[in-house]
Amino acid sequence: MTPAWFMGGLILGPLVAAALAFTFPKRGRGMACAAAGVVGIAVTALIRAVLGGGVSSHRVSGWGAPLGIDLRADGLAVLLLALTALIAVAVTGYAAPYLRATDSPEARHRERYFWPLLLFLWTALNALFLTRDLFNLYVALELLGFAAVALVALEGKGDALRAALRYLFVSLSASLFYLLGVALVYGQCATVDLALVAGRAQPGPALTVALALMTGGLIAKAALFPLHFWLPPAHANAPAPVSALLSALVVKGAFYLLLRLWFEALPVFHTPAAARLFGMLGAAAILWGSINALTQSRLKLLIAYSTVAQLGYLFLMFSLMTGRDGGFGAWCGALLLLGARACAKTAMFLAAGNILRAAGHDRINDLAGIAQVLPVSAFALGLAGVSLVGLPPSGGFAGKWLLLSAGLREGQWWGGAVILVGSLLAAAYIMRVMTRAFTPAAPGTAVRPVPPIMEWTALALALVAVGMGLAGSWLAELLRVGGPWP
Amino acid sequence: MIPQLLDGTLVLVVVVLAWRALNDRDLFRGVIEFIALGLLLAMAWLRLRAPDLALAEAAVGSGLTGALILSALVRMRRREQAAAGQTAGGATGPRGEARGKNHSRMVLGALSLAMLGILAWAALSLPAKSPGLTAEALARLPDSGVTNPVTAVLLNFRAYDTLLEIGVLLLAIVGVWALRRGDWPAADLRERLLLLSLLRWVLPLLAVGAGYLLWIGASAPGGAFQGGALLAGALLLALLSGLGKRLLWRERLIRTGLTLGVLVFGVAGAVALGWTGGLLQYPTGQAGAWILVIEAAALVSIGLTLGLLYLGGRPEEK
Repeated sequence: MTPAWFMGGLILGPLVAAALAFTFPKRGRGMACAAAGVVGIAVTALIRAVLGGGVSSHRVSGWGAPLGIDLRADGLAVLLLALTALIAVAVTGYAAPYLRATDSPEARHRERYFWPLLLFLWTALNALFLTRDLFNLYVALELLGFAAVALVALEGKGDALRAALRYLFVSLSASLFYLLGVALVYGQCATVDLALVAGRAQPGPALTVALALMTGGLIAKAALFPLHFWLPPAHANAPAPVSALLSALVVKGAFYLLLRLWFEALPVFHTPAAARLFGMLGAAAILWGSINALTQSRLKLLIAYSTVAQLGYLFLMFSLMTGRDGGFGAWCGALLLLGARACAKTAMFLAAGNILRAAGHDRINDLAGIAQVLPVSAFALGLAGVSLVGLPPSGGFAGKWLLLSAGLREGQWWGGAVILVGSLLAAAYIMRVMTRAFTPAAPGTAVRPVPPIMEWTALALALVAVGMGLAGSWLAELLRVGGPWP
Repeated sequence: MIPQLLDGTLVLVVVVLAWRALNDRDLFRGVIEFIALGLLLAMAWLRLRAPDLALAEAAVGSGLTGALILSALVRMRRREQAAAGQTAGGATGPRGEARGKNHSRMVLGALSLAMLGILAWAALSLPAKSPGLTAEALARLPDSGVTNPVTAVLLNFRAYDTLLEIGVLLLAIVGVWALRRGDWPAADLRERLLLLSLLRWVLPLLAVGAGYLLWIGASAPGGAFQGGALLAGALLLALLSGLGKRLLWRERLIRTGLTLGVLVFGVAGAVALGWTGGLLQYPTGQAGAWILVIEAAALVSIGLTLGLLYLGGRPEEK
């Protein structure tokens, strides 16, 4: 078994499963489980291969760049593949009882279409993380965007449809901007392979405009402030497992692509001015998202705005990567943060889904007594909050610590200040939810039961988010493989 | 001199038609202008010596997209009429909004012009004779199993792109089916015997034509996408004439047909992996046969997908 097998399994496994789940609508969950098995084995094997033998590449169809398409598994790629697998498996476990809660025609319909769409989403993410080809990345982005939009629309109600349509427009135009950029890159460099582009890139109008177009499109997809407007309604109106996937993974896909573009394909453009611009947008996102999260009256909207804020931290990293020495710390910090956030966000959305199921609403002011009926979910929410705020030993703490120290090393004290303020605001909005949740209920409030697996899935992910800080050095070792350092 | 004049006229007409299609008050006329625009764009692709693109643009960009937009328009009108009937008021257009719309249109127009300027600046700075990958693709053509360079790129050099794109197509129909139930074309033409006897001839001819385009794609412009578009046209005719309902009665069969492309392509990729050790790497000397099998499956899926999108939702489920 060569790495080619594992990469093939990562892409073909969920893709074929998606097709089969559509052909046999009643076997959807089984297909998802089968795909999870294939992907799980492939990811584990690929991590071992990368840790043991360094970066592994594969030429699809045997041609090799520039004519063909190359796949490459380096530390960053396998880390995100593993994260995707973890969250997708958790969502699969959660979604099965979630979708079967009521036996109405609508619920049956949702279940029939959820599984193929989930599997398409998984395929798209795996393809996105593995490929080294700018045009192939476009195709993966399209697959990802359409799957995400269809999943948001699955709820089928007015608000969800409106949010899905808006999301579709943003996602489509962003893809077109990206594609325009790719065309310009091809015109200039006569290749769309990331590594070859890096070798042939010369700063000039074509590549400047190309990078601007691609970055603009990807920023909209990653929902970086001020292009985040589509995210809160889309994430808040989707079914809970979908919100979790979107918040934890889909926006991160676009961020990942930005990393590849700015640090590998066209690092010549990563000037201090560009870095500062990213840093400022990131800082604005942290403040704007946190303040909005603080003022929301619905739990799911609060979590969605918190996602806007969390994405800001990731972009803060761009401004901290200018110094060669501090680069690795900031890089590890941001990616550790990304991992911890993804798990914490999933846990929070799943817990919010449980609350919605039990209480029939997610109004924060009326959450009293939830901790009595759903102790596990409330605990998960709290633990995820710990990671979000960045208390030790959570992954959030380790990531923020690395970012902070990188900022101080680079003399960018303002970045540090924003991180601290953002953490305080996060603590405030988490505490707002927790104090309500732990208030004893007025007697006589009726709640619907929630299947235990739905509660424990949320808790498990919250525990991973907290525990990720302890695995920090292992993750750093993984991230060093094939990263953009000499 | 004549070719330049022709090209100049083409560019001018394309721009004017695009403007008209966007701005026409009569939406129906706007759609027709859009369809004409697609045909002219196909001609532009021909002038740029990209016959494959021209075929795809004419079939998908103009024909099928036009049909989709027209059906959307009809549905919109039907809904408007129903709403107007309920309120029992006159169906006068919302004049008050017109001014605001004009305003935002000006802003959008200015932004588009600025964008055009930036793009022109970037495009003019590109190397005048970009080497591209043409030379390399042509050099490797003999190993690709086909002699049409476009098919070689789509099904061999960059077959992985095409696999994911077939996935996008399937995803499109899954997404549309997830959204809502489809509407069957209201007009049942079963009583029009002349039309029916014409269709009895035309439908098989179109199917044969699709097969021909698939086969010829190995050496000349054509292939699964163009053939699939033709098949979709046939399916559309069948749906509109009421013949299609019998075909779609068997949902499992339809679902299998829709997924056939992804399944065969994906399984072929896996089998190739076991055979040669490379993902989608065809065994030496057999590439032509593999490509034909994959394309045949893709043709069925593409035709069904594009045709069934017209229903705007899933067929009835039991």
